[in-house]
Amino acid sequence: MEATASQPIAQRFIGESVKRSEDPRILTGAGNYVDDVQLPGMLHACFTRSPMAHARITSIDISAALEQPGVVAVFTGPQLQELVDPEAVSPGFFGPAPFKYTVLATDKVRLVGDLVAVVVADSRYRAEDAAALIEVDYEDLGPIASAEAAFDSSGTPIFEDLGSNVLTQPTKSSFGDVEAAFAAADRVVTARIRQHRHQNVPMECRGVVADFDPGTGELMVHGSNQGPGLAKMVMVAQLGLEPDKVRVVCGDIGGSFGLKIGTSREEIATALLSKHLGRPVKWIEDRNEHLMASGHAREETLDVEAAVTDQGDILGFKVKMVVDTGAYPGMGGMLGGIVQAMFPGPYSLKGFEFEFSAAVTNKASYVAYRGPWAAETFTREVTVDLIAAELGLDPLEVRRRNIAFQPADNPASMLTGRSLASCTARESLEHMTKVVDIPAFRARQAAARAEGRYLGLGLATYIEAAPGPRGGGGGLGNEAMRMALDEDGTLLVFTAQMPHGQSHETTLAQVAAEEFGVPFESVRVVAGDTDRVPFGFTGGSRSATMAGGASLHTARALRQKVLEASAHLFEADPADLEIVAGQVGVRGVPVSARPLAQVVAEIRGTDGLPEEVDTSFEVTNAYDGGEGGWSGGTHLAIVEVDVETGLVEVERYVVVEDCGKLINPAVVEGQVRGGVAQGIGAVLLERSAYDENAQFLAGTFMDYLLPTAMNVPRIEIHHLETVPLDPDVNFRGVGEGGMIIAPPTLVNAIADALSPFGVRIEEQHLPPLRILELIGALD
Amino acid sequence: MLPTSLEEALSALAEYGSEAKVLAGGQSLIPLMSLRLAQPGVLVDLNGLGALSGIEANGSGVRIGAMTRHRAAERSEVLAERVPLMAEAMPLIGHAAIRSRGTIGGSLSHADPAAELPAVALATEATLIARSLRGGERTIPASEFFEGYFTTVLAEDEILCAVEVPAAPPSTGFCVTEVARRHGDFALVGVTAAVTIDQGLVTRARIALINVAERPVRAEQAEAALVGAKPEAAAWAEAAAVASSEIDPSGDLHATPAYRRKVARVCVKRALETAARRVGGGR
Amino acid sequence: MTLGEAVDVALTVNGSRREAQVEARRTLADFLREDLGLTGTHLGCEHGVCGACTVILDGEPVRSCLMFAVQARDATVTTIEGLAVEGVMNNLQEAMRESHGFQCGFCTPGFLMQITAMLADNPNPTEAEIRDTLSGNICRCTGYESILNGVLRAIGADVPGSHQSVP
Repeated sequence: MEATASQPIAQRFIGESVKRSEDPRILTGAGNYVDDVQLPGMLHACFTRSPMAHARITSIDISAALEQPGVVAVFTGPQLQELVDPEAVSPGFFGPAPFKYTVLATDKVRLVGDLVAVVVADSRYRAEDAAALIEVDYEDLGPIASAEAAFDSSGTPIFEDLGSNVLTQPTKSSFGDVEAAFAAADRVVTARIRQHRHQNVPMECRGVVADFDPGTGELMVHGSNQGPGLAKMVMVAQLGLEPDKVRVVCGDIGGSFGLKIGTSREEIATALLSKHLGRPVKWIEDRNEHLMASGHAREETLDVEAAVTDQGDILGFKVKMVVDTGAYPGMGGMLGGIVQAMFPGPYSLKGFEFEFSAAVTNKASYVAYRGPWAAETFTREVTVDLIAAELGLDPLEVRRRNIAFQPADNPASMLTGRSLASCTARESLEHMTKVVDIPAFRARQAAARAEGRYLGLGLATYIEAAPGPRGGGGGLGNEAMRMALDEDGTLLVFTAQMPHGQSHETTLAQVAAEEFGVPFESVRVVAGDTDRVPFGFTGGSRSATMAGGASLHTARALRQKVLEASAHLFEADPADLEIVAGQVGVRGVPVSARPLAQVVAEIRGTDGLPEEVDTSFEVTNAYDGGEGGWSGGTHLAIVEVDVETGLVEVERYVVVEDCGKLINPAVVEGQVRGGVAQGIGAVLLERSAYDENAQFLAGTFMDYLLPTAMNVPRIEIHHLETVPLDPDVNFRGVGEGGMIIAPPTLVNAIADALSPFGVRIEEQHLPPLRILELIGALD
Repeated sequence: MLPTSLEEALSALAEYGSEAKVLAGGQSLIPLMSLRLAQPGVLVDLNGLGALSGIEANGSGVRIGAMTRHRAAERSEVLAERVPLMAEAMPLIGHAAIRSRGTIGGSLSHADPAAELPAVALATEATLIARSLRGGERTIPASEFFEGYFTTVLAEDEILCAVEVPAAPPSTGFCVTEVARRHGDFALVGVTAAVTIDQGLVTRARIALINVAERPVRAEQAEAALVGAKPEAAAWAEAAAVASSEIDPSGDLHATPAYRRKVARVCVKRALETAARRVGGGR
Repeated sequence: MTLGEAVDVALTVNGSRREAQVEARRTLADFLREDLGLTGTHLGCEHGVCGACTVILDGEPVRSCLMFAVQARDATVTTIEGLAVEGVMNNLQEAMRESHGFQCGFCTPGFLMQITAMLADNPNPTEAEIRDTLSGNICRCTGYESILNGVLRAIGADVPGSHQSVP
């Protein structure tokens, strides 16, 4: 028998495109999204929203709404505010808001779509019927429709508490010797780079079911939040409940891309109403509300001066960034620090000056959207192409000339501080030139132009701190994780991540299974329940390194614990034991192997184990990111512009990326492609448009245009997977990169296509109309 | 209301008047209701009226029941054979699942100037057949049917029952050309064109433009300019220039009047070129 | 009959006869999700653009947000819950899993139903035909390539490999 027992083979899961654990439920319609939650006695909330951008509420009449069939309650702003804990501070993006505001508008409205009143009824149809009957009179206060208007001190302050419409006064920092860099320049290239307002648009809108139990005084919140723990903190504070009385549970989440990090005013209102009424209340945002008021991103202007030599050396930048943060507090005012820190990217500069300011306007709040600091990459990479065009040089050569060299033993640092150790921008750029035959393209481009067809090639290079090397202030904090080995041999992984499409149930299980030594199927990842998982959130491309690393190290610690306890059972040294394919055994003695469930039962059934033996088989750990490392890469696009209609077709899109060791290539590629698709949308299709009076113009999917299968080409992806800085964890974040780098890649390609027209493109959004304007084809 | 006969439907309309809306495929009306932009008190649903569906040969052309689904028209061999211009437009209407429900009569009655079928009706010189309890049946030439944004000459108590589309003369080529932000979106500008060439000269041209006015419009001056012209690039370019000068489009979120005029010119030129090429069986 | 009036509806959903009384204005989507508990059908826009609510009605793909439940009287409806056979995922579902077709899963029901209807009509579509047909369904996560690959895999066509690790 001994002779036939085979040596169990250690199973490898990391690096495999393991099929997703999420899919059996998602592909059969068995997912559980927040709108799928139906509770007995559940009521439905619907908000009455402002049609005005900036106005005083002079009167509000809810009497007709109250008389509607099925209506249980109607609240105006002042009435609802009485339900808020008086001690509560208005919530901002991670922490308190910089100024005070109310859950519903109490005295004035501050954007189209602002919350004026809320109806609770026994069905959503009836709640909507009643909400439409609430009559509100307004006195127009004059919209503040742009950052320029906000900086003009004659406008009415949107928030009295702030005193003006300037959220952040211009604040300047400088690095290196800026004056020397500009003094040494042959010329200064200037540009006004603009990103336009666009937005996350997950396919699932926001929503919540708040279920307050008057008997126990407990609030159960079924949410759709990237950080259930963050939502819990907000609910605890706003409702004035003890933390142990609030539980937030999130099931499947239909996308977010940064939007659902925050807890919205609507969610707070819904919870307040549930507590007040003692019944479950559901609010599900509709698409019109979502597009209008869930939050927008990216409306930024960066005035750039680049000091360059005639040979193409970039000596320094002076940048002035202004953000239009919209009305209620979001992320916009906090962007300056990270945009400044990342602006130099992989390039070596001699001087850098950065000024940041932020304005409050009567538009939707600035929310986090996939790579929120992307203004640095967009501005830098578009400016590099403008420099090349002005100097008559090849943009590829300008990049080659300026990207810092990274000798392994002596890595350079960004002028703003962080080490560029592990940065492979140069390698990705060089690899791109091997993948794409650029000279052949140039020949094809010339031939096409002779036929009146306009092809263009653009590329751009970026790095992303996901997490970046250890130190330098850009880290992602710690990531907690709990793991437990169940009696039946299941490895339970309690993650602080809140998956919403990123496949964490699969990837974290791959890491845990491989490190611990169990089959993939024996791992169960638990997420999204503040009673069961550690505090945390998904965002900032943190999952791969932080949660992947936490999974590896927690599994390692738990395995050690199991081996130490097993040593007593096997009467062997723990160092001689192993866990392979779910079996514990003595290394090299296959016959000794016993299933984990049996080992757990036997150890727990053994009397007289030494006191130091821990049979809980549970470990809680926190991982600090280890040595970390940069993510990044180079993207390249080939486009064709129809100069008669302004339509742009993306003919080819190539990615060379480096996110270290791939946990699951199919998941990584899904993240890359999804990000690139959003970048294509941003440049060609998507705009959260307002008119000059801050009236919102893009409230349906016929106005806000998302890319479809006809707009996104196949995307070729090449992985570099460079040498790690960390001995164990070389998984790096990849969620945001595609969306960060696709816009400048495409803009550079379009600018290249239109170069015969002498066009200079300094903006991100290039719909057909704009293309024809740029080339002067319209009268 | 779910009438099972046309008479029943017409009675309901006569009874409820302006409170009532006719529901055909619902692919335009229901979104408006969902957004609370339309709030009819009564819907008269024609989906139970099987007699209003179907495409049949009619003279050398076709007669299409108003409740014929876009999808059925898209698949119709008789339509493809006899009215290729309309057949070419079918797959451009919305998306597959919209065409499953959307109807020919619904599209025409909705009279969206950005839609394809109203322009096709103009270019093919179709005749619309409507009924009311009060006035019985009347026939309306497509050129007189469309009044303005989402309005037609149909009375409140009238239902569009069918559309008769004549076949074009022999030696006619057709083309639908449109520019949309995305495939399946309403066109920013579009053209439906038919060009007849006899003995080396253009003898007839029909050019109907999509989304350049508050209703679909024919470019009659451009059509006239083409008659007698040699079918070559200069003629198409000249007609395109004339067409763009005889329209007065408005602007919206996606396009300005100048954009529409410029792109109308491009579309007319491209549509005429292609239509002429197809006269001889080209692609 | 007004739009708020209750009416009887009887239809066949995923092979079972279902009967209910609903408001005349209730959409088919809300009826499926709330009255029948078939929450696999999702609502992404409620104005007919995103395609997430697509179901198959009498063999044709339709937007269930653009129909009233009462209009589905006596119809045969298939939703995403009706694809798996006795708890076993069908060929298309398996192919999508193999291809990592979807991420967050919210658009998934609409895609699967639209693809199912497409393949019934045209069992061997080209990639261009697949893109055209699926252009009425919006996915915000994937960039569509994995979904196209899933369809190609389901019909046994070659799936272009497009990634490579650099040694």
